[in-house]
Amino acid sequence: MRDLVVFGIERLEKENVAYGDVRLCERKSEVINVKNGAVEAIKSSESRGYGIRIFDEGMGFASSADMSKKGMKETIKRALKIAKASSKVSVKVDLEEIDIHEDKYTTPYKIDPFEVGLEEKLDYLMDVDERMDIDERIKVRQCNFKAWKTFKEFASTEGARIEQDLIMTGGGLGVNVSDGKDTQKRSYPNSFGGDYNSKGFEFFKSFDLIEYAEKTAKEGVDLLDAKQCPKGKKDLILDTNQLILQVHESCGHPTELDRALGTEASYAGTSFLTPDKLGELRYGSDIVNIVSDATAEGGLGTFGYDDEGVKAKKVDLVKDGMFVGYQASREGAAKIGVEPSGNMRADGWQNLPLVRMTNINLEPGDWSRDEIIEETQDGILLNGIKSWSIDDKRLNFQFGTEVGYIVENGEVTELIKNPTYTGITPEFWSNCDAIAGEEDWKLHGVPNCGKGEPPQTMQVGHGCAPARFVDIRVGVGKW
Amino acid sequence: MVGKNYEERFEGLADKIFKNAKADELEVRISHNDSALTRYANSKIHQNIARNNFNLAIRAVFGKKIGSATTNALDEDAALNCLTRAENIARNQRKDPDFKSLPDVKGLKDKKDIYIDKTADHSPDQKAEKVKEIIEMANEKGVDRVYGAFKTESSGLFVANSHGVEGFSRLTSSNITTCAIADWDNDQGFGWGEMCSADVSDIDHLHVAKTAVEKGLNNLDPKKIKPGEYDVILEPLAAKDILIYLDMMGFSAKSVQEERSFMNGKFGDKIMDERINIYDDVSDADMIGFPFDYEGVPKQRVDIIKEGVANKVVYDSYTAGREKDKESTGHALAMPNPMGPLAMNLLMDTGDYPLEDMIQETEKGILVTRFNYCNPVHPVKGILTGLTRDGTWLVENGELKHPLKNLRFTQNLIDAFNNIESIGKERKLYSMGYWPAYFVSPALKISDFRFTGTTEF
Repeated sequence: MRDLVVFGIERLEKENVAYGDVRLCERKSEVINVKNGAVEAIKSSESRGYGIRIFDEGMGFASSADMSKKGMKETIKRALKIAKASSKVSVKVDLEEIDIHEDKYTTPYKIDPFEVGLEEKLDYLMDVDERMDIDERIKVRQCNFKAWKTFKEFASTEGARIEQDLIMTGGGLGVNVSDGKDTQKRSYPNSFGGDYNSKGFEFFKSFDLIEYAEKTAKEGVDLLDAKQCPKGKKDLILDTNQLILQVHESCGHPTELDRALGTEASYAGTSFLTPDKLGELRYGSDIVNIVSDATAEGGLGTFGYDDEGVKAKKVDLVKDGMFVGYQASREGAAKIGVEPSGNMRADGWQNLPLVRMTNINLEPGDWSRDEIIEETQDGILLNGIKSWSIDDKRLNFQFGTEVGYIVENGEVTELIKNPTYTGITPEFWSNCDAIAGEEDWKLHGVPNCGKGEPPQTMQVGHGCAPARFVDIRVGVGKW
Repeated sequence: MVGKNYEERFEGLADKIFKNAKADELEVRISHNDSALTRYANSKIHQNIARNNFNLAIRAVFGKKIGSATTNALDEDAALNCLTRAENIARNQRKDPDFKSLPDVKGLKDKKDIYIDKTADHSPDQKAEKVKEIIEMANEKGVDRVYGAFKTESSGLFVANSHGVEGFSRLTSSNITTCAIADWDNDQGFGWGEMCSADVSDIDHLHVAKTAVEKGLNNLDPKKIKPGEYDVILEPLAAKDILIYLDMMGFSAKSVQEERSFMNGKFGDKIMDERINIYDDVSDADMIGFPFDYEGVPKQRVDIIKEGVANKVVYDSYTAGREKDKESTGHALAMPNPMGPLAMNLLMDTGDYPLEDMIQETEKGILVTRFNYCNPVHPVKGILTGLTRDGTWLVENGELKHPLKNLRFTQNLIDAFNNIESIGKERKLYSMGYWPAYFVSPALKISDFRFTGTTEF
């Protein structure tokens, strides 16, 4: 552990605070965006600094990039001053007890993405770009690669000493198409920058963007002449790259205990899953099982310890359709008498850890994707995140996807465009009557989950297999 | 706070970088941000933080090959390492045929700061005192749960490039929000207040809290209304939420060049009501922003929608270089940036209607305080969805009849801006929150606004 971190903890101990921690982070990232045959951006970023968190009579947090001992002393002084100010309008915080660890954790990976040459990455992406150039109606072709490497040290006045080396890698491709009358988009393996995991360069190569470039571009063009999504009630089959958004927005966020306790009320909102409903509310049908799992292999929310030193764990959120668990910090856990779930995560060194998703996964069922389609008489199959909106309690949602397909009498018959669907969370999940099994289960990454003030961006994972929801309202709005 | 010596410090570091550079063209951007934010929930301070950070960004160009690197360490070794990374990337890059040159615009040193010492120096004690007063005032009115955040920040931006562009500017910003929940146990009585200013002395925290508490108390026992088309009165904050998405969906040159803007093919055409004027202007007296963009180009006023006509969009140097006879309007984000340029100081002209008159002249309609989680459904068609939040009322025969449970809208915004009934005479400044962008908007009354769903609260 670095001298600076040890120095910081010793200063906090000398100040005799009820609780204090020092979290130092160094992060580097590489981003490459290729668009229409040219490199739109290549950027190499590095950032390092530390955050000091104190719970005493009040709470205080200060962060700084000044890596000198003088800088550490001043930052601790600032955090103490803030904690003292907080004490005028706060109550003393209790933290739920946890096991204290001295440990090191490293993301398992095969190929360090930062050791792969820029030339190789550019050659690959330019090849992908060229393969998407198949039709003049394709106005934008884009593909990208991104990798992060984060080194963290965490030390607390309780004795925790944890070091972690984390790696994340991903990317994807997409096209925007236009015929002067309409515009559509199509992406692979998902929209908004692709897919991400806590793995090395091998994960990026596993997408086989070369193979999917032309196919994705063609489907984008085909959307221009596709029929508009029908209006009315249909059975809805969601592929994994849309179902992850459904899990994220309608289960991930409402099971964050800070929201349920009101501490995000003025920004992200609250939650319909209030503590009185824990163990009592039927969230979905009895085949719905959802977990928060920071131990899932390769997940974008996988790590050794969270940012308050809780060891990574798997926690039930929804069990046999019942709401049974929260994502909880030590502070929140103490308030309602549950165990901390290991979900406290901060965006970089400069931000306060918040309750954040790790890998929120829908457990596999016992169908196959093919069987679900074969057993659907009047439905639509949706794929690819395009538009999302949900209310501040996470009840009323409306999502749109890049593509849809009509499913009639057990067969996929026709491509449709601008698909949208809407519902109320517990009603929607109660209408889940089929979930595909392990063979169709995929662990995706969402690199841009926003929360908190000041806004923080977090990388979270979602695993699921395609699922069916019966009698859902689709084709919302006037087109 | 952004120190008075920072300009000299940043210039000194930039000089060292320029002296060691091998690139044909080079841009050095150094920014600093010092912010403090006190959050309160359930009438207690629960998060109270301060952050202090620098960022050095270098863009190196060899011919038409560009590389960029950043670091937040400002010592000489780290800066030169950053330069090496940027130059190495550029050397190994592909040529970008659309890249013309880094900007060549002089005279930035004459631009003024919007920097208020009182804001930069505002202490955690001062914030805690004001939060305490908010809580006490709410308690006196019978509301024992208020939520919100009080933020002050100071920022500095230095940009220099090898063509002689050089500028430094500082700004401050303060913002307070209050959400009142008048009946927590029954999950109702939500109300909202918000205020933003460069000068923290202008922040009337008790007025903000009073607005939130009164709205909360008037928002008990909300009723459901059937979705459909209604006249809608958007308070300035709700109008701001819409304005943000018009900006994101269509006001940048990049969105037009990529044919994903609702402005495509419509320049010179009247696309909105003739009373609609939307423009970006950092020099407006109410606005907060740096006087130049992230590549050092002075920000020009751009009349985007003029008397309802699709007039212009904003450019950075790259998008300007892709068109004949175009110049940057000074709206670059930190480059390289796949988003392209962005109008970050957007204003909408006022009309002549007080909000009260809009309500009085409404036979049947819906009054909206603000929106939640909006998102484009189809950007080219200008279709947006989102939900009402923190205070929605049914207006009947010129009066607020009763509060409504929140509603989802799915609406073509171009249609909505053609259905303008009246525009408010007062306008307010709001911070975007996520980015350092600011919006000034009046209230709007719009007919036939399409609500497509309701929720349970």
